[in-house]
Amino acid sequence: MIRFEDASFHYGGENGTGEGVDHINLTICDGEVVVLCGASGCGKTTITRMINGLAPKYYKGMMEGAVWVNDICVTESELSETSRLVGSVFQNPKSQFFNIDTTGELAFGCENQGVPGEMIGERLKKTETEMRLGPLMGRNIFELSGGEKQQIACGSVYTTDPMVYVLDEPSSNLDRKAIQRLHDILMKIKKEGKTIVISEHRLYYLMDLADRFIYLEDGIIQKSYSNKEIAELTDRDLAEKGLRLTDLSELKREYDKNEKLLREPILEAVDLNCAKGGNQILDIARLILPKNSVTAIIGDNGSGKSTLSEALCGIGSCDGSIAYDGVYLSAKERAERSFMVMQDVNRQLFSDSVIEEVMMNTSVTREKAEQILEKLGLKEVIDRHPASLSGGQKQRVAIASALSAGKEIIFYDEPTSGLDRGGMERFGNLLKDMGEEITSVIITHDPELILRCCTHILHIENGRIQAFYPLNEDGVTRIRSYFTSENDENTSKTRKKYGVMGRVLKYTGKWKKYVFAALVFMIAGALCGIVPYLGIYDLLCKIVGGGTVTLENSMVDIGIVLGFGILNAVFYTIGLQFSHRAAYHTLENIRISLQEKLDNQPIGTIHDLGIGSIKKLFNDDIESVEVMLAHVIPEGLSDILVGGAVFLALIAVDWQMGLFSIIILLFGIGASRQMYEVGMDRMGSYFASAKRLNNTIIEYVSGMEVVRIFNRDAGSEERFEKSVYDYRDFGLAWYKVCWPWMALYGGLFANIILYSLPLGAFLVLMGHLTMTRYILALCLSFALSPVLISALALIGTLPRVDYKIQSVEKALDRPLLKCGNEPFDVHEHSIEFENVRFAYKGDEALKGISFKAKEGEMTALIGASGSGKSTIARLIAHYYDHDSGVIRIGGHDIRQISLSDLEKEVAYVSQELFLFNKSILENIRIGRQDASDEEVKAAAIKAGCDEFIRELDGGYDTIVGTAGNKLSGGQKQRIAFARVLLKDAPIIVLDEVTAFIDPENEKKMNDAIQEIIRDKTVIVIAHKLSSIAKADKIIVLDKGSIVGTGKHKDLMKHCEMYRTLWNAATESRNWTLRRQQYK
Amino acid sequence: MDFYGSDERGLIKLDPRTKFFIFLASGIMTFRSYSDVGTALYSVLLCIIFALCGKPIQALKASLLLGLVLFFRVVLQNSQGAPEVIVLLITALTTVFMFGFPTVMSLLLIVKTTRISQFLSAFQAMHFPVKVIIPIAVFFRFLPTVTDEWNGVRKAMAFRGISLRPVQIILNPWKTIEYILIPMLFSSMAVMEELASATMARGMDVDIKRTSYEQVKFGITDLVMVILLIGAIIFTTILGNSVKGGTVL
Repeated sequence: MIRFEDASFHYGGENGTGEGVDHINLTICDGEVVVLCGASGCGKTTITRMINGLAPKYYKGMMEGAVWVNDICVTESELSETSRLVGSVFQNPKSQFFNIDTTGELAFGCENQGVPGEMIGERLKKTETEMRLGPLMGRNIFELSGGEKQQIACGSVYTTDPMVYVLDEPSSNLDRKAIQRLHDILMKIKKEGKTIVISEHRLYYLMDLADRFIYLEDGIIQKSYSNKEIAELTDRDLAEKGLRLTDLSELKREYDKNEKLLREPILEAVDLNCAKGGNQILDIARLILPKNSVTAIIGDNGSGKSTLSEALCGIGSCDGSIAYDGVYLSAKERAERSFMVMQDVNRQLFSDSVIEEVMMNTSVTREKAEQILEKLGLKEVIDRHPASLSGGQKQRVAIASALSAGKEIIFYDEPTSGLDRGGMERFGNLLKDMGEEITSVIITHDPELILRCCTHILHIENGRIQAFYPLNEDGVTRIRSYFTSENDENTSKTRKKYGVMGRVLKYTGKWKKYVFAALVFMIAGALCGIVPYLGIYDLLCKIVGGGTVTLENSMVDIGIVLGFGILNAVFYTIGLQFSHRAAYHTLENIRISLQEKLDNQPIGTIHDLGIGSIKKLFNDDIESVEVMLAHVIPEGLSDILVGGAVFLALIAVDWQMGLFSIIILLFGIGASRQMYEVGMDRMGSYFASAKRLNNTIIEYVSGMEVVRIFNRDAGSEERFEKSVYDYRDFGLAWYKVCWPWMALYGGLFANIILYSLPLGAFLVLMGHLTMTRYILALCLSFALSPVLISALALIGTLPRVDYKIQSVEKALDRPLLKCGNEPFDVHEHSIEFENVRFAYKGDEALKGISFKAKEGEMTALIGASGSGKSTIARLIAHYYDHDSGVIRIGGHDIRQISLSDLEKEVAYVSQELFLFNKSILENIRIGRQDASDEEVKAAAIKAGCDEFIRELDGGYDTIVGTAGNKLSGGQKQRIAFARVLLKDAPIIVLDEVTAFIDPENEKKMNDAIQEIIRDKTVIVIAHKLSSIAKADKIIVLDKGSIVGTGKHKDLMKHCEMYRTLWNAATESRNWTLRRQQYK
Repeated sequence: MDFYGSDERGLIKLDPRTKFFIFLASGIMTFRSYSDVGTALYSVLLCIIFALCGKPIQALKASLLLGLVLFFRVVLQNSQGAPEVIVLLITALTTVFMFGFPTVMSLLLIVKTTRISQFLSAFQAMHFPVKVIIPIAVFFRFLPTVTDEWNGVRKAMAFRGISLRPVQIILNPWKTIEYILIPMLFSSMAVMEELASATMARGMDVDIKRTSYEQVKFGITDLVMVILLIGAIIFTTILGNSVKGGTVL
């Protein structure tokens, strides 16, 4: 029980937010959940601090009255005493951890309370499983995203198992799934009979949880609402009190019908890639942001939102090309033209006063700066120190500084976390007003803000663009369903760190020792390659020393030169043998692991990738690993090691010449870096033009047919030419800046001898160096050049190989299909859709579909093209994971059924038919592997394909061409249908199976369908309405929604859409008949 | 620089007290040893310990650097005919490096392989006054915080056209320092204040009896290490100097 006895508290000095609270009288019973709500500065946080004792024990101030938790007066008792009873979660996730590692942090509270070690272990286990923190255990706290940190904070309190939980805005940094998890965990804590006090702006997730809402205003309790009472408050009442929405499904947006949602692009990003420590964080093929739009970036915690925006505005490292206003810019240039308002705005205020801050490093006049400040409502604080302002004001100062610097794009990182309704609305309106002249991008988890001011939504998941859509009417329903759908999975991933080499070596498996063996031999070989120079040195010494050189006394030296030359070749060959053996076995391993990954991918992902890029992946990209393993690692490493050794020897021979060579080498490295730097600036447009060229070629070739049949399309040729020229020009521009540097470092590396020769001669003349040493140094320099050049060449390929390996790894590093291993006991075979939403990319294909297809019935799906019919079929076959809602097959959630069980259950004939390059018999047998020849033929007869098969030259044994070239579309459809008949699965989904079939065969097939549906669930998609008029249930779809359900007769009566479709179908049939009559 | 301390991958796990002892020993060694060989051997020993504690790559880098500097030093001292001034200068520089190496290495060993909880647990077991332990623990926490803040401030600077190029820093040293310090201070201050309140609300206090989840034990490896180090100290301070091995190389 918590008891406030006429408690008042006022902060002394500059502490915390708000003024304090007055005369609080409040009793919170055991097991009660109480929410403190009210505008910012109303005293919510102060009350939580009075419960956990921080006021007045840590925050000093005027305290009157007393606060009791059970029979302890927390106002008087020590904080360590209070902490046994009260567990606290604070607002700011980054400043509430004492430890640096997560596990230590979770245990921290218990340790302070003196809980024995073993018991802490048990509690940790409990917290880990109950709160699903598995992926976050044993991690560096500074690596976690804000939301992940907040989860750890909740977890660490849960571990101490206090009587009272005090949470100060725990949801402010959480994504919707994490909020759901927070909600569930609070529910659990409540069930355990604990008392919970939450100070919070977001109310909607607490509606079924809280028993009481206490509304505060200016430090005084104004009113206490039950959850029913607060749910009844209208939006206007809430707005007056500065409270946020209580029900997200009420989210609305006032439309401006004239609002232009399609605008010209301001920002374009192509091939964005970002990997940290070998983990793919971003993988974006193309992203375009419209000019003067307000785009909200949404997505789960840790999905790459911040990384993306940092890359776009040029402060984060990232591969790819980014253009502002059509011009590709380097990171530095982007940072000059954009701005980011960070979550911790303290970090970006540099000056002593607001006006100085706004004018710093800009060319604006004082009047202009004042104007900007006035517009942002900062006129009164113009001379104050930025640090003395409130959080919202600081934020606006940062915005003002961006405006005065003339930035084009402003990014905001969770700008409204912890803002009350008023603050949120003010911010939203500000963005809306600025929308005319500036482009804004907001990372946010705040649906209210999105609906208030955003024009576009960018949905990021796993570092990839899930969707980008304008916030029109459809967009609003979509975003609402995004925030209200129930989903509590935790997408946090444990990230392992690997370098390029580590990543490749990971795949070598048991062949790793071969790589090392190769390395050893290559080093030995390279060393042997140097020894001959020593032999030459010896020979030269003899000459210089004035002795006579005879064949006999030079035999040894010649032997050394020859012998080590041969050894060099031998070792090198052995090394190469080892390295290639390892390399090709590794390629095998990688291909196998890729294939395994491919098997568990949604068919949709594979379609998205396209056959071309998968082929490229399996062949070309993996091949590049061979270069890495067979050459770069062993040769490059041995060259570097040996090169280093030679350098050391050179220094040992004569440090001056050694040092001089090093200086030359450094110059060379400097030149290559300079090339890299100037090259990188132009690399963006070069790569982009390469990509454009690629696309144009594909378009040109695939459009060839159309172009030839119809007119020669001058446009397409022009486009082709232009992109070829572009590619040439950008390529040349790139080379042009690189050339001089390339020549410079090439010359420096290849000819070190050229520089050390005169220097050595000078030293010899000066008497600092003996002749023999000079010769030795020269010989070493000779030996050095080839090693350096080959090392350089291989090091140069490293980034390219890295890029290839990354593309191999990222290609299939996508979320797998969700399927469980739940035993699938079959009782019935109905199909049920419950409010299913799904989008391929871009617009939603299904917008909340609900229906049930019963066993023994034929359910027909009809509608215009693009209404979502085939999408439903694909979802039943689990080609894709749906976005929200539930699909049940036989009463089981489709996400719990294993793919093999589902495969037994469902037979699906899609519109895209594929016949393997085998005999027709085998092609039909795919339906059921163990079927006998007779069964196959029986199925073929039923499907009406027996006839034409027999007419073929080879009958059933005719080999079908890869894509079934020899067969017509209708024949292929019938073969596919025969497969289904053979498979005899309880659920049959037929997508336009009669589309290419002539009327006579169509009748046959319809009869066959009628026959098989008796004890099965059949879903038919058809354009020909006549064939489905007899269906038990017809579902009429329009633009992804169901507009009518029922039998033919009912629909004719009630469904406008169906009538139109039907009439159109019958009319066209009549029309054909009449034409025939006239003839 | 990553300040996340962890010895999870280590072959041996040293007690934090041992690591502090190593730090102490390094201090004594550098001040008492006048022998190149002694210091070099000791530095190599530190690198090996660092590698064994789970940081092989960093240890390798450190020992390569050490080897390179030593090589230079030896070559230079034995070279003939080189200008005196340069030899003297480079010798002095390498001496400073070798003087600092053990201390820096052992500090890194503490910071990079010790978790705060291990540290607290070890020193509480020795009944160290909490008033001494907590500030050291806070120092651990402060290093990554400052790094984190610095990363943020650096990014913010990019937008404001504040250049961190050497030229700018040399031209406007005070301005640059101001631009770095003001946001760092205000931001760190806010973090530290909230951190202190959070820590206290979680029950950390000077006069409490803590337990620990991770029992840190002073094991055989620690004993071996300490004996080894004591031996090394005795050798260098007493024997090493009496041998007068200052110019062994």
